[in-house]
Amino acid sequence: MTKNATLVVTDLRKTIRNKEIIKGLSFELTEGEVFGFLGPNGAGKTTTIRMLVGLIKPTSGHISICGYDLHRQFSKAIRNIGCIVENPELYPYLSGWENLEHFARMVPDIPKERIVEVVELVGLQNRIHDRVRTYSLGMRQRLGIAQALLGKPKILILDEPTNGLDPVGIREMREFIRFLAETEGLSVLVSSHLLSEIQLMCDRVAIMSKGKMIRIDTVEHLLKEQARVAWKVNPVETAKNILSKETVVISVQGGTLITPYEAKQLPKWNEKLVQAGVEVSEIQPKLPTLEDLFIELTGGETID
Amino acid sequence: MKVTTVKVITILSILASGLWLAGLGMTIKDQFFHGAVSPVKESHLGETANDKKERFYLVALGDSLTRGTGDESGKGYVGYVLDELKGKTKQPISMANLAIKGQRSAGLVKQLQQIEVRRQLQQADVILMTIGGNDLFQGGETLSHFSIDRINKAKVDYLQNLDTIFKTIRTVNPQAIVFYIGLYNPFNDLRDAKTTSAIVRQWNFDSAEIAARYPNIIAVPTFDLFELHVNDYLYSDKFHPNKEGYKRIGERVASLITLTKEEGK
Amino acid sequence: MINLVHNEMVKIVRKKRLFIIAAIIAVLVALFTYAQFKHVQDLQERLGTNDWRTQLQQQIIDAQNRLNSSGLSDEWRKYLQIRLQQQQYYLDHDVNPSAPGAPTFMRMFIENSIDLFLPLMVMVIAADLVSSEASGGTIKLLLTRPVKRWRILLSKYIAMILSISFILLSVTIISYLISGAVFGYKGWNLPLLTGFTINGEELNTSNVHLLPQWQYLLIELGLAWFVSIIVGTLTFMLSVLMRSTAAVMGIMLAALISGAILSSMVSSWESAKYLFMVNLRLTDYISGTAPPINGMTLGFSMAVLAVWGFIGFVVSFAVFTKRDVY
Repeated sequence: MTKNATLVVTDLRKTIRNKEIIKGLSFELTEGEVFGFLGPNGAGKTTTIRMLVGLIKPTSGHISICGYDLHRQFSKAIRNIGCIVENPELYPYLSGWENLEHFARMVPDIPKERIVEVVELVGLQNRIHDRVRTYSLGMRQRLGIAQALLGKPKILILDEPTNGLDPVGIREMREFIRFLAETEGLSVLVSSHLLSEIQLMCDRVAIMSKGKMIRIDTVEHLLKEQARVAWKVNPVETAKNILSKETVVISVQGGTLITPYEAKQLPKWNEKLVQAGVEVSEIQPKLPTLEDLFIELTGGETID
Repeated sequence: MKVTTVKVITILSILASGLWLAGLGMTIKDQFFHGAVSPVKESHLGETANDKKERFYLVALGDSLTRGTGDESGKGYVGYVLDELKGKTKQPISMANLAIKGQRSAGLVKQLQQIEVRRQLQQADVILMTIGGNDLFQGGETLSHFSIDRINKAKVDYLQNLDTIFKTIRTVNPQAIVFYIGLYNPFNDLRDAKTTSAIVRQWNFDSAEIAARYPNIIAVPTFDLFELHVNDYLYSDKFHPNKEGYKRIGERVASLITLTKEEGK
Repeated sequence: MINLVHNEMVKIVRKKRLFIIAAIIAVLVALFTYAQFKHVQDLQERLGTNDWRTQLQQQIIDAQNRLNSSGLSDEWRKYLQIRLQQQQYYLDHDVNPSAPGAPTFMRMFIENSIDLFLPLMVMVIAADLVSSEASGGTIKLLLTRPVKRWRILLSKYIAMILSISFILLSVTIISYLISGAVFGYKGWNLPLLTGFTINGEELNTSNVHLLPQWQYLLIELGLAWFVSIIVGTLTFMLSVLMRSTAAVMGIMLAALISGAILSSMVSSWESAKYLFMVNLRLTDYISGTAPPINGMTLGFSMAVLAVWGFIGFVVSFAVFTKRDVY
């Protein structure tokens, strides 16, 4: 099943004051997928996103959006992108509705019905005529998404979409993004510092460090390599000896042993432990987080 | 409603822009390409004179003495005259002081040619004037480089100018009473007091002679007022009167005015 | 483009700046009206007459006396001399330059506000046109629309010009209404003299001609508009260059105030005449007041201002279309 590529980036570079900040990025987004963007502070995530939406001019490289070159055919290309860069900063002295009207006027052929539509889509009907000044961060975030969706884009670029939302809001947002990708067929590019969020939301993840992409792969793939099981056992030493024979004991933390996760082998290992008189009080599969992976890949750089 | 506010403001702004642009265009046309100058009419005296008034109108002409230089209150003798008159009558009195510091007789002749000055003279009931001090003393120069010849020469011109001044005043306003205030000798305390006093006396006499040629021009002497203790009545420049000096002149002139007015009635 | 300008107008109007400016104008006009009223009353009391000729004559005499005092600065002496000649000319031609009435008050208000007050009001609008979008982050949303950057900036520029027109319109209407309540609403056809040229200390009257006051006012408003647009353009440029509205305001304020100070003391610094801030008093050329530096004329000042404005315009667009937005 081949899907159409909506965004194609080839060998993107940016040099500021003789310092190369982005060192040759290449990746593709396809229809209906959610693509995660991960990287520590200063990795060049934001710079890359700004280049994708035309706020910063790349030093070299190409950005092609739905077949249009971003720099030669700016207006046609950018029509297909909806974005929130960093925070959803809107005009606080205007109402939500006026904000949307304002942006709708800047794009040809957006009827009033479309504004009503996106407002309903993000669920802001009740407060849309209040001033944005009075909105909570979550409401602003939604209004930001509404504004991004106004022009019926093919690609949605969201910088930190769950920032500042409460747990319920985060889940709603996650579901909403999945909905947009699956039902509406949008390509969504998401960057987030909540790695778990990315893990739950994204189909594919790109990990950036120091202006380079270290790894692009599906979440599934990345995670498989790293599954673990935690054993809460007593006495620890005996258990360690037994498990060492079967598999690798990665670490011992107090009364807990960590081993790789192999679903089929687990009952057998457990049986051996019990037979040896080891008290197994808890077996917990520890699904790895991207965080672990991330730290491994970037060599322990801090994550923003 | 909000939308209409914006629309109204925008439309108003567009209209206003057109208007200001027209103004700018007019500026360029008017200021840079103004071809044939439409002649601006000079005003004439006759049209403005018939201003029926009930107030008593005082016009002061002349030099620094009339201006009041040296009086720290700034009134000058004219001010004191006004004060005195106001105390004596309920009639509203107004005054125009047209004196210019350092003015000489030739300057006054010129000033009297101005239409507005004439118009004011025309309305005057009383005219107060001092002139000649600068012709004679030339700011003290005459006396430091003392020369009878030069003084006499200056006097010839001065007397002629004075005649013209009186004539002009009488032509413009035949009725008003003119008080021509004479000179005093500010150097009465100095070495050459005798000579200078003689010169000033002669000067005043000749001026009074001219005044006598015209009706209702009264030469008011001040020489005697300053003859004794001259320094008590002079300002620190030893030339202009001080407050006390002006008061004395004012009192004298004021007393004359009341008298003449009653005579007139 | 109309949509873009509409957007900008919505933002300007909803920020309530225009209403605040109108309120400031109303307060100031009321203040000046009262001051002027007091001044007229005082003059009347002092001279015992409300005949303008007598008053003007008295002013001339006062000026003459002042000219004869020692210790007068050369600039002041020259200024007095030219004013005196002008007043004499008005008197000789039986034209009252300050006949009471709302139009006269408007004229004086504009003449006195053209170099500081009006530019200040323009600044309030222009200073944050671009910088507020940058500091508020909304610039990112604005520039990720299918609209070319120069069109976005041009729409802001047009909105600024419209606001300037609106400010001037408010000045005109508010000052007419308020001052008219005190001085009466008549006087549109009062003749006024213009076309004085100044050669050194002499007033050249060979080009003098009469204009009805309404025309004179329109000319002055046109010039005030021109000055406001130039000041607006320069503020606009700074607004593009800087993120902080306060910094923009600070720089412009410093320039305007230094202009007001310089005007009164630069007569010996010839090249100062190429600074925009000493060229703001364009209405002075119409009324025939001596310029701060010898040899400055209406054409010269307008040309200097136009060059400054043009540079500001070009810099704004060059920077805005090229720059990376962080």
